[in-house]
Amino acid sequence: MPVVDEARLEAALFEVGRRLWSDLPAGTRNPFRAADEKAMELASQDAELKAALFRFVDVVPACRSLDDLARHLTGFLGEVEQPPPPIAVAMRMGNSRAGRTALGAAAATGVKHMAHRFIVGESPKAALGTLRDLWKDGVASSVDLLGEATVTQAEAQRYAARCDTALEEIATAARSWPPRPALERDSAGPLPRANLSVKVSALTPLLRPDAPERGKRDAADRLRELLRRARELGAHLHIDMESLDSRDAVLELVLELLAEQEFRAGPSAGMVLQAYLRDSPQTLDTVLEWAAGAGAGRAYPLTVRLVKGAYWDHEVVEAAQHGWSAPVFEVKADSDRNFEQLTRRLMDARPALRVAIASHNLRSIAHAIAYDRLAGGDGTDLELQVLRGLGDPLQHAIAAQALRVRTYCPVGDLVAGMAYLVRRLLENTSNDSFLAEQAKGRPLEELLAAP
Amino acid sequence: MTLPPFVNEPVLELRRAPVRAQLADALRAHDARGPLDVPVWVGDERRTGDELVSTDPGAPDRVVARAATATEADVDAALEAARAGHRDWGRRPAEERAEVLLLAAAWLREHRLDIAALEVRECAKPWPEADGDVCEAIDFLEYYARGAIEIEAGSELLQMPGERNTLRYRPRGVVAVISPWNFPVAIPCGMVAAGLATGNAVVLKPAEQSPGCAYVLVRALREAGVPAAALALLPGEGDVGAALVRDPRVHTIAFTGSSAVGQEIVRTAAETPAAQKHLKRVIAEMGGKNCVIVDADADLDEVVPALVTSAFVYAGQKCSAAARVLVHEAIHDGLIERLAGAVEVLEVGQAERLDIDVPPVIERSAQERVARYADEARRTGRIAATARSVPEGGWFATPAVAAELPPGSPVLHEEIFGPLLAVERVRDVVDACDRVDASPFALTGGLFARNPDTVDYVVDRSPVGNLYVNRAITGAMVARQPFGGNRLSGTGTKAGGPGYLLQFVEPRVVTENTMRHGLVV
Repeated sequence: MPVVDEARLEAALFEVGRRLWSDLPAGTRNPFRAADEKAMELASQDAELKAALFRFVDVVPACRSLDDLARHLTGFLGEVEQPPPPIAVAMRMGNSRAGRTALGAAAATGVKHMAHRFIVGESPKAALGTLRDLWKDGVASSVDLLGEATVTQAEAQRYAARCDTALEEIATAARSWPPRPALERDSAGPLPRANLSVKVSALTPLLRPDAPERGKRDAADRLRELLRRARELGAHLHIDMESLDSRDAVLELVLELLAEQEFRAGPSAGMVLQAYLRDSPQTLDTVLEWAAGAGAGRAYPLTVRLVKGAYWDHEVVEAAQHGWSAPVFEVKADSDRNFEQLTRRLMDARPALRVAIASHNLRSIAHAIAYDRLAGGDGTDLELQVLRGLGDPLQHAIAAQALRVRTYCPVGDLVAGMAYLVRRLLENTSNDSFLAEQAKGRPLEELLAAP
Repeated sequence: MTLPPFVNEPVLELRRAPVRAQLADALRAHDARGPLDVPVWVGDERRTGDELVSTDPGAPDRVVARAATATEADVDAALEAARAGHRDWGRRPAEERAEVLLLAAAWLREHRLDIAALEVRECAKPWPEADGDVCEAIDFLEYYARGAIEIEAGSELLQMPGERNTLRYRPRGVVAVISPWNFPVAIPCGMVAAGLATGNAVVLKPAEQSPGCAYVLVRALREAGVPAAALALLPGEGDVGAALVRDPRVHTIAFTGSSAVGQEIVRTAAETPAAQKHLKRVIAEMGGKNCVIVDADADLDEVVPALVTSAFVYAGQKCSAAARVLVHEAIHDGLIERLAGAVEVLEVGQAERLDIDVPPVIERSAQERVARYADEARRTGRIAATARSVPEGGWFATPAVAAELPPGSPVLHEEIFGPLLAVERVRDVVDACDRVDASPFALTGGLFARNPDTVDYVVDRSPVGNLYVNRAITGAMVARQPFGGNRLSGTGTKAGGPGYLLQFVEPRVVTENTMRHGLVV
């Protein structure tokens, strides 16, 4: 790793951070705005209310009527010991049938509104307009098809078919998008406009934490088909990471498949590195070895999306229940520091890898941009990624500087999207999340301070 | 002696490749040692033999253990030894006995992979289950060691001026433990450890299918320092257990097994032959016909995997396993479709393989029993799904889901103890609770529902000993889910929970007058 002048880096980082901050669209420096966000804001201050809200949001698609919806809502709120005044009103409404219908309707509207913020459309087709608008604004996208858990082969098959259709629809539509050079090329070559993120757990019902081979074998055929399709269409296929239970299976599967002869010429493909995992530096070792060995000489370098990781609570609870040491950093600052170290190692590994830094943490983003500059880059070989609904203002600020930004765009109906939505809400209301800090009005200097 | 607070022994983190890598070596080492010779072990006498042979359910030609079987004379000798043995052992302070149990726990910990390998072979316990069983055995030792120290202090009583009231617990005497094969180390360990921790002498009659596992347990305890006279091992068939149950020298019978045998034990133990100066106490954990209620608002993404785990892990051979699903009519068809698909992909295979879902059942008669009930379901209802490929050569049973059964079907009411899950359509949760309430069994139960009011309703109406809400219904952990059933499923005691040890002791209250000539002395 090249020696970095830390003082210069910090100075550059602050400059980049200030610039991004000033480019945030007016009124969005507080990311919590609408009424449902008020609910989230309230929830982030009260653990019981937060639990009630999440359990409610989670059950919405399973409710059969407005009355049923309202009964669930009052059931959950009834468990809040000291309900704030608006909750008491809701509870009173739950006492009559008419009240419940009104309450149910209001709650359903709230949840739908919340969902629309994070989910771009019910189907890829319905999302095409949004994808095009983003593109015109200088924002690339990666589409993620939300779905129920895969527990049968038929479900795995259906998910693969949906991915296939989505690739085709997005790739076809993308051909008519106007040129956006910053989004379409880096020094390694062209970057596909159409970009789909897929989940291995949805491609097979056989992922077992104790026996990764089995799920890997079963998912491999379906993933190969999707890789072929992406190559034909000139699209990018990104393989997401989920919890640690499937990490090894996914990692091995991606590296093995992409090293196969038939995929050397394409498609463009990527995987994910989760910085909250304590052993993520070793995972990166594996990826780097691969890039120098079995994966060398591919037409498209492997894209590595660096994220912090979205299953923190799950990992901590699962480990605690089994008496294992937590696989994730338990102190957020440790995770943030690791994120920066991995950022540097990934950027140093270019051009063998392509790098995508995915975060809503202004410091983490600014760090990547500043590190690239100090290494003599102009942003061409750096991609920044945000989540639809959480990173919208940041995405504009990044695009405003002609840097490449890609927004992760989930697509699906409310039933399918619920698990995703709850995870996002959890992330959003967690007390030490960057967005919560930002919403509290913490000064920029503190937001940009080293972890 | 202050012990650190109890924590559960962590199971192996098998999602890590290096942890998995140890297993094959352990199994190779186990196989290289050849069949285990299990003695009748009374006092310092060990008599080996081969009247009883345990074989690998996945490869019935492989002999795992050869055991001698206890004769009437052995039973007599064991009880004579125990009669004397319980006095010395029971007079030791609880802390001293606890220390011995902790040493036994340490011995199990040290040999945990070897023991798990033995379970893989003798009982076709898949690795994660076998490892969990060893951990549970360790938990019982650790938990009851602490519990015995705690109850030795007695209980607080109301005190008045001029009198001193004390309540102390004394060991009851001789405990006969009759244990099953499905948790071949943990369950005998729990019952034996409870008896020993509280100062009783114990005679163990393990299941004839798993003498090897029982022997390892007795070795651990003997090597840890349990006196020869305080613990005997009597391998054998049902007649050995029956002889123990009848014998007037036995004070307490701790039994885990089928409902029929349990009821027979309760009846026999109620007799007080002329020479017997006490009432026997029976602690019985028996069968179940465990129901999982699924309400209309349940998330099938969670329900299906939890049902598969509850019904098919270890081929459904857990007393806690799910046997019936009572699902709200609004989501019945959707659940059947997804459950069927999930069962079709179940991999049936050898217990030693980590990539299987369902191992063989314990023996030929179990295989035949499961097939009989499956035929019955096919004849009077519908088999909605079966696993696609089932190997030959071992006692493999076909995992299946049955549906549309007539209300009186034996498939719905008799314990099958195998990988067959019946799904029933119910009008609502009230209907489901009525059906649960009609059952003579009340061991475990499950509920998938997200409205807190529904959860409260079912909790209130559910007679079962262990109700699991929105999760799988197997896998009770010591100190976290004290385990045991009600109605014909058991005597209501909770293994691994507070109060369990009180079944093994008798309370004695002493009231002393402290007034003498008008003075408090």
